[in-house]
Amino acid sequence: MKNESKFDPKLIEEMIKFGKNIIDAPKLVSAPDEISLEVTPHDVVQEIDKTRLLHYRSLTEKQYKTPLLISYALINRYHILDIQPEKSWVRNLLLQGFDIYMLDWGSPTSMDKYLDFDDYVNGYLDSSVEFIKDEASTEKISLQGYCTGATIATAYITLHPESVKNYIATAPVIDGWRDTTVISNLAKHMDVDKMVEIIGNMPPEFMYYCFSVLKPFEQGIEKYVNFFKNIENKKFVDNFLRVEKWLGDTPPIPGALFRQWIKDIYQDNLLIQNKMYVGGSHIDLKKIDMPLFTQIAVGDHLVSPECSMPLHYAVGSEDKTLKMYPTGHVGMIASSLSQNKVLPELGKWLAERS
Amino acid sequence: MESQSPKDITDYYKHLSLFWTDIIHLMASKPQALTSIGPMRAFASNSKKISTELIQINENLMEFNKFVTEYYKQLSETWSEAQKKVNMKAPDVPHDTEQMESFKRIWIDIFDNDYTELFDSEKFGENYGKLVSKELELTKHWNNISNVILQSANLPSKEEIDEVYKEIHALKKRVTKLEIELKKKRDAKSEGNIKNEK
Repeated sequence: MKNESKFDPKLIEEMIKFGKNIIDAPKLVSAPDEISLEVTPHDVVQEIDKTRLLHYRSLTEKQYKTPLLISYALINRYHILDIQPEKSWVRNLLLQGFDIYMLDWGSPTSMDKYLDFDDYVNGYLDSSVEFIKDEASTEKISLQGYCTGATIATAYITLHPESVKNYIATAPVIDGWRDTTVISNLAKHMDVDKMVEIIGNMPPEFMYYCFSVLKPFEQGIEKYVNFFKNIENKKFVDNFLRVEKWLGDTPPIPGALFRQWIKDIYQDNLLIQNKMYVGGSHIDLKKIDMPLFTQIAVGDHLVSPECSMPLHYAVGSEDKTLKMYPTGHVGMIASSLSQNKVLPELGKWLAERS
Repeated sequence: MESQSPKDITDYYKHLSLFWTDIIHLMASKPQALTSIGPMRAFASNSKKISTELIQINENLMEFNKFVTEYYKQLSETWSEAQKKVNMKAPDVPHDTEQMESFKRIWIDIFDNDYTELFDSEKFGENYGKLVSKELELTKHWNNISNVILQSANLPSKEEIDEVYKEIHALKKRVTKLEIELKKKRDAKSEGNIKNEK
């Protein structure tokens, strides 16, 4: 009797190779804990509570006069903007001649549960802006906000427009009711008062759950299959582990801040309606009258374009630009597209105004 | 004879348990006070609070189970529906690498689409919100039990520590405001000095 197999031998060969790759993986690649996410050299120039203000060392002889401060998101850490030399947002802007500062919000503990929007906007962000103004001997700086960092930056600019020369809003969280992502669906049904009362800070585990409902099979299965398939591709593996390590490093969000963010942005949608208050002061988007550059990713499944775009139409600025890119939330800031298209366009716009 | 509802039965056992813990506590507290000299005295007097919390945990667990069952029901129904769609679109077993790749693509696309549709739906959001809410209530009971134990060991409770955190936060805000005012005054003074020198 003939022993015939219906399966293509190549398929069997690939499966055996895949199994071998899983066994060999620990010998070929570093453990995520062994990887340092610090890439571009910088100095910590100010520390307040758990926050740190980073100043990146210049990579060019000449720099534009107006410094740029990046207000990173509250979810995960700032490292994604400097994830590796070839995909670093920070390094690219430094090479274009900009003076870059980054605000690292740090990792809040139970002690920080009473920190609210006011502390972040009029405390940490304002202190950073004032420090940079003093250090650079300038009256105004440029400000970039990414994701929820842009919500904080937006509130800040409406209260302190005199300190900001240019505003770059990258995937800003603005109009919660228009947000079509699954994150907004969960946020709208959340009893945030109960969560803050009982747990205090928003725990990272809850954020990991939110990540897991975003394309669960592509992100939860295919991504890891590709990792083991490409285990011998050093460049691919290095990039994969860096991004994975960044994804797994989510600090808690202070309870009071989280409560206001969920209620005012996702549940009551106060920001876009000009009904939000921070530290007793009214947030009026019309007070944003400086040049505005809004960057939106069409495939963003964390902050949908419909949630970000309304900022462009709500501000008082006359000089405003809206750019849409065919990528996702992270792709817009850490990919070859960001290096070849997003950052050159931003650099050109900012150079003309710095 | 009228049949008793599950709530009546729970209430009955709740009453029964509280009755006996109260009575035993009252009967035992006086002679017990003569012999107890350390933190266990406080623990004994707080045992009623712990038994009340345990009864309430039981009630919450029933509610929690209802929402967690619905949660897994929604997940498994979506899985079945998605698998049916995959079977219709790719009925044959893949035999080579190309077929395997396209089968994987179809499977992932259909499953991701169906699950995203579920996570985006009102019924999922509502049930998940209630499930988390019940989980938080269970945590609250656990916190309450921990507080009783902490107090019996003469340690501050979570609420007492929270009060300290709140006070520190308020103090920090006041100090920051004072520092800003002081800086403004210093700046104004140095500007005045410069003008006078000129």
